[in-house]
Amino acid sequence: MTDSEHLLRVRGVAKRYGSVEALRSVDLAVVPGEVHALVGANGAGKSTLVRILSGVIRPDAGEVEVAGKAVRFRSPAHARAAGLAPVFQDPAFAPDLTVAENLRLTTTDAGAFRRQLAALGLDRVELREAAGMLPLPLLRMLDLARVLAHDPALLLLDEITAALPADYAERVFEAIRRARDEGRSVLFISHRLLEVQEICDRVTVLRDGRNVDTLNTADGSEQRIVAAMLGERAALAVTEPRKVAPRTHREPGEPALQVRGLSDGHRVRDVSFTLARGEVLGITGLEGQGQDELFAILAGDRKAGGGEIVVNGEPLVARHPHEAIAHGLTLVPSDRWQALLPQRSVRENLAVPLYNSPGRWGWIHADRELHLVADAIARLSIDTRAQAQAKRLSGGNQQKVAIGRWLVGGFTTLLCFDPTRGIDVGTKHQIYDLFRELAAAGKSVLMFTSELREVPLACDRVLVLYGGRIVAELPAADADEATLLSSAHGLADTLTESA
Amino acid sequence: MSALASAVRPLGPTAARLGRRHAWTAAVVVFFVLLLTWNASQTRNFGAFEIQTMLASTLALAYVAMAQAVVVIGGGIDLSVGSLLVLANCLSARFMEGTSFGGSVLVALVVLVVIAALGALTGLVISVSRIPDIIVTLATSFVWGGAALFVLRTPGGGAAPEFQALVLGSGNAWWPALLCLLAPLLLVWVPLRRSRAGIAIYALGSSKDAAFLSGVDPLRTKVIAYAVSGLLCGLAGIATTAFTGGGSSQSTIAINATLTSVAAIVLGGVALSGGVGGLIGPVFAVWSLYLIPNIMLGLGVDPSYGEVVKGVVVVLVVLIGGQLRLRRSRSP
Repeated sequence: MTDSEHLLRVRGVAKRYGSVEALRSVDLAVVPGEVHALVGANGAGKSTLVRILSGVIRPDAGEVEVAGKAVRFRSPAHARAAGLAPVFQDPAFAPDLTVAENLRLTTTDAGAFRRQLAALGLDRVELREAAGMLPLPLLRMLDLARVLAHDPALLLLDEITAALPADYAERVFEAIRRARDEGRSVLFISHRLLEVQEICDRVTVLRDGRNVDTLNTADGSEQRIVAAMLGERAALAVTEPRKVAPRTHREPGEPALQVRGLSDGHRVRDVSFTLARGEVLGITGLEGQGQDELFAILAGDRKAGGGEIVVNGEPLVARHPHEAIAHGLTLVPSDRWQALLPQRSVRENLAVPLYNSPGRWGWIHADRELHLVADAIARLSIDTRAQAQAKRLSGGNQQKVAIGRWLVGGFTTLLCFDPTRGIDVGTKHQIYDLFRELAAAGKSVLMFTSELREVPLACDRVLVLYGGRIVAELPAADADEATLLSSAHGLADTLTESA
Repeated sequence: MSALASAVRPLGPTAARLGRRHAWTAAVVVFFVLLLTWNASQTRNFGAFEIQTMLASTLALAYVAMAQAVVVIGGGIDLSVGSLLVLANCLSARFMEGTSFGGSVLVALVVLVVIAALGALTGLVISVSRIPDIIVTLATSFVWGGAALFVLRTPGGGAAPEFQALVLGSGNAWWPALLCLLAPLLLVWVPLRRSRAGIAIYALGSSKDAAFLSGVDPLRTKVIAYAVSGLLCGLAGIATTAFTGGGSSQSTIAINATLTSVAAIVLGGVALSGGVGGLIGPVFAVWSLYLIPNIMLGLGVDPSYGEVVKGVVVVLVVLIGGQLRLRRSRSP
């Protein structure tokens, strides 16, 4: 294949942030009309590469060619003019401006935007609404429509399906296929290998800032991708799709958390369940089925309108997260930045709960803190190379710190909201293993997940939320994707079947 | 399907949306009208003369509040607005002294250009050096204050009387001051607000990253915001010259103007975090802050307490407004 046939050609691109080498040397080639996947573990350099290709940052070394011509992007606008258009996980919409004003910023033609929206099945969006008032998944769809309206030669989609409801994700895939049929190319970044297999033609695997493998999805198996992502040493642990982790089938323990008839008069309707000690209970559902509100109520961050929460046999009416934490009910929110102190060190982020209970005269026990923090770092194998500031950690390590905080602070029930969102396969399994360990030690975990495939890997039991109600309850062993998906869409009332 | 349906459900009629966007400004206008009614009920024969006095004596502060609003909307804060006012005041008073009407107008135009350029320079320094706005403008506030001392060491100077009357009106003629206030709004701000450059100012204040990814040039936008702010500070200085018939380089004037401008934008619905608000709210806030001591006086309260009440009002309004916003965001 000669160079002129390539739409995009990247050679030896490198980028360093201080002492951290984000990209060592990456080669990549995308041909016209190709859907090319970019996969890799967290910190492999995928996002850095996309930021270079979209003109957000400039590479330290290497060349980028578009349609045979060398380019050095000065700004995102410059990259867009060259036909490279990105959609990031965080939509590029100024929240206080209306959608229409945001379109003017990017000089997007309103008619073309409307046509793209219609093609995505979203023709009733009010463009005069402030962008910040719209739900995040919808905003990401608007970002995609905006990018498509600019008639790009290459779409850069960075984790566009992360935490996207299944119906939206399907529309994104349709849009990708349409773009390919129109002769556009797509660089698709995802942690979901199933998606990659389904819609991509070729895959390039990044590891530690280098491209380690490029293969056709037709002949490349999921195992080969995973092996390339993780390198030889770690590959053995995850190549086989694991069955439910071995667990001792004991009688269910004492109830750790009982919820009876909980409602907030709006999004949460008559939710009841019991979580036993030593149990990992999953909750799943489509976007906006009351899961955010349910977790906020349990964590003491939102008032319940009715119902009862009983923690370790004691009724709890938490007016503030502090009271829930004091009762051993701790939340790891979906948005890591809600949990972390971005400018502070890993140690301080982990030790924060300890500052609630200082010793005499407000002294902090430095020894105890050091000991507990070191223990949490070891148990979660947190990568502490960039420990001076939490914001410099990779996404997976940030999530580990958010969870590790409660290993330090202590809890009886851990509430985890989408704990594996946007993190790599290896880290996901570490988190599942941690949950199993915690359960074996008599703790309990309530986790919401939007990834149905992880339910049998981490949970004992799963509840499905639909329209604020629990519509299904299944043992994790029976929770195959098809059953969960149909309950999540409100199609089957498996609650009665399983009862 | 229902996730989709709930996400794209029409978000209420146009009126409700406009109400939501402009609720704060509307509240400040209502607040001002209430204060004005109260003040009017205290004063015998309240009329055009009192209105003229209010408009003329608050004109400079209204300009400075608008200047602060533009910068804060763009995600910055400008501690040098008061010093720029004083510099413009000293420059115009010194060079307008003894001139004809035409000469005063010419001096005014030159001063406006100079002060706007100083504003643009401030924006440039902030963008290029990447030093936070608050530090750079703190430094420049000393520089402009010192420069004002060079221009006019002791209070003095003057302006053509016809020029003073043109800016402020006289006797019962309240509309010249109002026209002077509206001129930069209609001639500069409204066209800017509707242009891509103006939207870029809001975008930069709302989310730096989103603005950058949308192709906003941060340097250009910062320079434009500070240049417009400088222009308004220049107008404020000239209005001061017209009102006092001279110039003064006292630093207390600068400090007072800067602090009032921050109080006015907060009261007027401009979020200190940027991206939210407009220029109308701060103007009504300045008028309200002017009326409060007057009303206290009318009630027979020691004028010193007027300042205390002003401070308490600012805190209360922001507190109540913040609570209302929070409640709205929690129960959609």
